[in-house]
Amino acid sequence: MTVVHYINQFFAGMGGEEKADTPPFRLDGATGPGRGLGLEVATTIGCGDDYFAEHEDEALSALLAWLEEARPSVLVCGPAFGSGRYGYACGVVAREAAHRGIPAVTAMHQDNPGVLAADGAPYVIPTGTSVTSMRETLPKMAELAGKLSRAEAVGGPDEEGYLPRHVRRNTIRDEPGASRAIDLLLRKLAGDVRTEAKPPGDFVAPPPPIADPAAATIALVTEAGCVPQGNPDHLPSRRSFTWLRYSLDGVTSLSADRYETVHGGFDTAAANQDPNRLVPLDAARELERDGRIGRLHDFFYTTSGVNTPVAVAAKMGQEIAEELVSSGVQAVILTGT
Amino acid sequence: MVGANRVLRGVSITHPTGDPALSVGDELELRRRMVDRALNMLSTPVESRTVWEAEG
Repeated sequence: MTVVHYINQFFAGMGGEEKADTPPFRLDGATGPGRGLGLEVATTIGCGDDYFAEHEDEALSALLAWLEEARPSVLVCGPAFGSGRYGYACGVVAREAAHRGIPAVTAMHQDNPGVLAADGAPYVIPTGTSVTSMRETLPKMAELAGKLSRAEAVGGPDEEGYLPRHVRRNTIRDEPGASRAIDLLLRKLAGDVRTEAKPPGDFVAPPPPIADPAAATIALVTEAGCVPQGNPDHLPSRRSFTWLRYSLDGVTSLSADRYETVHGGFDTAAANQDPNRLVPLDAARELERDGRIGRLHDFFYTTSGVNTPVAVAAKMGQEIAEELVSSGVQAVILTGT
Repeated sequence: MVGANRVLRGVSITHPTGDPALSVGDELELRRRMVDRALNMLSTPVESRTVWEAEG
């Protein structure tokens, strides 16, 4: 049984945020939480969280090369708890290992973007949001890692305590389909619906209307990748995990000489001729001048909505909404592409 | 737009609030009407996801 363990710069004892730009590293034996797994960890590999987020391809190629070299019988990543960047890295590394035939286990909070990044390829054990659940998490990871390493059969999510991987397995049952269907129907009538999948979806109740736009502060928000010319803050064209805020103080129009879009999901030619085609600032300023809008918020908010995991997008939306609410904004016009 | 409750249909994916086929003046007028309509939507109660067309 050969175990490789993936961690970040913090759990390797290198430092916190100030060391998050650490490139991939490799250490002999167990380090940090790996010592608590109770498994014989041959090699610890890792990467700074920012480095992984900003240089995913480079980081992955170094880490995967080390994995190929070690060819472990199982890879353990994390646990990452509620940490988004660390969880994302754990999810991606575990997924890529699994795609290469190396069984992988990771652990994190169920809302961590790493769960979506893992894409059902590795096993993800749910944890609390903070490191306080380390003690109860490590034995669960070790147990599942042991089974995988020994190529033992792994039961379903309920049985083994990992998050559903959305994998369907065929099994042979003794009873004919017709009687199983009747059994399911009877169970459903009795209130037991656990055999039915819950549809995904994020439903938000419609907020009440604003009383009068002429008395409201209204913000412009977009996922169309609209940024100042030259993209000074490096908004990614796709897979953006960040949003940006730009001042509109004294700006009456998103003119092509000062703004552009870096969105990687559509043909940007028409938008770059006139970025007001993405964020209707010129028209909104006219309506503000005419008293139809009480006041336009002093900033517009932007990101590129391409290939962003839904959980990440939801988090960005919550962050932007919190800022808008605390700035006294009552309504938002959000343009999408 | 998934999850949004008040949706105004845009002109196109690549230019939701504009139309390169129009003259500059007509395009600004179109955009002004769209924002005006968005303001009407913001001050209208809805029970569930509702999609408005740009005109009408």
